[in-house]
Amino acid sequence: MDLPSGVRNYTYAQDMSIFRTKTHWVLLALLFVLLLTVPVYMGNYWLSVMNLIAITIIAATGLNILTGYCGQLSIGHAGFIAVGAYTSAVLTGQMGLPFIFSMIGGGLTAGLIGMLFGLPSLRVKGFYLAISTIAAQFIILWVINHWTSLTGGFTGLRVPQANIFGYEFTTQTSKYYLILATMVMVVFFAKNLARTRPGRAFVAIRDNDLAAQVMGINLFRYKLLAFFIGCFFAGIAGSLMAHCYYGFLNTEFFSFKESILYVAIIIIGGLGSTVGPIFGVVFIRLLENLLSSELVPILEGSITLFPSGWASGLTPMIFGLIMILFLILEPRGLAHRWQLFKTSYRIWPFSF
Amino acid sequence: MGKYNSRGITRRGFIVGSGVASIALFIGGFPLFSVACKGKEGSLKIGITTPSTGPAAEKGKVMEDGNKDAIKYVNEVLGGAGGYEVEYVWLDNGYNAATVVNNVNKFMDEKCLMFSTSSSAMMTAAMTAANQNSFAGLAAFGAPIIYRPPQHIYGQMPDYGDDWIVFVNYYKQNLWHGQGKPKVAMHLLSNSTGYGANDAARAKADELGIDIVISREHTASTTSEITSLTEIKALNPDVLYIASTPQPSSVIIKNANELGMTGGNMVIACGHAGITKALVDLAGADKCEGVYGTFPTIGWGDNVPGMAKMTEYCQANHPNDYGNMDYITTWAQSLIMVKILSLAVEAVGYDVLAKGDAGAWEALEEHGIKALSNYDVEGLHGPVSYTPGDNRLCKSMRVFQVQSGLIKPISGWIEAPVVKYEEYDWFGK
Repeated sequence: MDLPSGVRNYTYAQDMSIFRTKTHWVLLALLFVLLLTVPVYMGNYWLSVMNLIAITIIAATGLNILTGYCGQLSIGHAGFIAVGAYTSAVLTGQMGLPFIFSMIGGGLTAGLIGMLFGLPSLRVKGFYLAISTIAAQFIILWVINHWTSLTGGFTGLRVPQANIFGYEFTTQTSKYYLILATMVMVVFFAKNLARTRPGRAFVAIRDNDLAAQVMGINLFRYKLLAFFIGCFFAGIAGSLMAHCYYGFLNTEFFSFKESILYVAIIIIGGLGSTVGPIFGVVFIRLLENLLSSELVPILEGSITLFPSGWASGLTPMIFGLIMILFLILEPRGLAHRWQLFKTSYRIWPFSF
Repeated sequence: MGKYNSRGITRRGFIVGSGVASIALFIGGFPLFSVACKGKEGSLKIGITTPSTGPAAEKGKVMEDGNKDAIKYVNEVLGGAGGYEVEYVWLDNGYNAATVVNNVNKFMDEKCLMFSTSSSAMMTAAMTAANQNSFAGLAAFGAPIIYRPPQHIYGQMPDYGDDWIVFVNYYKQNLWHGQGKPKVAMHLLSNSTGYGANDAARAKADELGIDIVISREHTASTTSEITSLTEIKALNPDVLYIASTPQPSSVIIKNANELGMTGGNMVIACGHAGITKALVDLAGADKCEGVYGTFPTIGWGDNVPGMAKMTEYCQANHPNDYGNMDYITTWAQSLIMVKILSLAVEAVGYDVLAKGDAGAWEALEEHGIKALSNYDVEGLHGPVSYTPGDNRLCKSMRVFQVQSGLIKPISGWIEAPVVKYEEYDWFGK
């Protein structure tokens, strides 16, 4: 890792540490204090937004492993989230399994189905693989809609609240802590995965799969592993979405537009870094909510010069414009900006 | 280093400065993140969310206009609800389920007394948060899953299942002269609109003496249904029932004309999401001639007490919405919410409601919603009443028929019986 001026690593442990300096630890502690005290100063609305952000970070981290690290483009992520959500809902609601087992079951099922749809990745890549993952999105939703005896079909499915050892997560605050804990575990796993043998194999495959194969990397194994891990996290996010966010499932909640949004999130955040999906999710979800829930009502109420509805029409335009500007001005995402900031700080007082 | 220190900025100084600035921002941002204050003094607040952008904007924007114009009318002409100004918090949901969940939480934080949505799909996303907090919601277009079993979500009008029940009953009593059971073919949109009718048919076909001979599905973007209609034609049904929206319904009706399925004994009927002026415009008046449908509000220009003011406000504020039935629907929705507020304020007083807390929500539900009895919604709607165990506030609709390009009522208000879907093991598990 990059270190501030004057700091050197003398041991292997120092070289491998994620948090190396006192400043790192202090900032980490402050971040945790900030995250843990969020319910003290936020109302239900902002807690609900925070819950959505944290769940989206879990799913986006999975997509980042698959697309950002391993280079396997997937445009069917919402479909895999739906698999996790429905599996978990069926396991708790109809089979009576505890929530924790159902959540893991949802993740495993999504991971296995992800591997199934990942099989074409051995023969096709790029746009061709993207098309096959789009097919996954539509096939998964079709099956859910028509397997009515299990999923409720188009009518939908009621989902029990998350419950661990008899404690029911019904308030926004309790849901927040559950989702936050899961998110921290997922991000920690993803950070470490990137530094392991499979993580480096993913990067090698992304950079040049032929060269990786020549070096002895088993493409079949590692591509499917990337699909499994990416979709496992999608399944975990789906389970939390079902039990802690919606409380009801309908396939309309997992639209193709959501899948596109996930790709946009990891591009804006920055592909192939752990903080990229976090930046991308926070940026996109806050932008969505600030535009639709804060800015539009204020503009509609204060500027009456234009026809009614002009401000709500402005929302998708602003959203689209910001995305385009990002792709033009910072195609490497917010994570790259963060990296530049950190580097300029580290080499202080020299100029960057 | 001294040289750089002389600039007054060190790394340590930068960290301390950034930290102080962050804390200041954090404290300054408290009002943005914390629970909002209650509304204006002397007002009662409600929440409204519509899909004014996104894939359902064509309906959502008109529904937003209907909601807002009606509240403007209530405040300007009727003097508010029980003498108190009605204030609304309106939020666009973009037909996005995740946004709706956040919206309903915002309504609760903003101390709204109840909220409304304009589609069943969005209410399914909102209902868990609302039910858990006993925060009442009113859905304009509803599917049974949102209020079966009944909790704190209410249906403004009969649902898509009720459409089917009202029409087949009308058909059996007034149009059918055959022996045995009428044969009905179903053509369903692949979402809750289409499958709401399917749920009713599944639950009640045997009891009503209807034989469902075939059920086929179409998507919202369908361009041809010749194949499915050929299958249906081979079974020679008495009724082709289309549970869908105007665009796909128009495709099916045009295809049925091409296959010669119209003009004979077979009747085509549409649910209330489909039988609108847009259907006639899209399919053509000649192709739609004789098509039946059910609808829960009156039509534009009908001679009812509320028509003049609604038309005046629509033409003054949103002239492009004139002729659109969705405007009437949410105008009526706002009137119903205002009636609920009036009943509650009369029963428990302003101070209880003004708190906008759990106590106020409970009072509103007990003394506002549950006190509704035969409210006529200025004639724009079927009568609105609360019946224990049935969260549909209006239970009646009329049968319409396309005659010379116009959608004309051919029946009085017909009440749809309550169906206890939750008693069927296949329903929403």
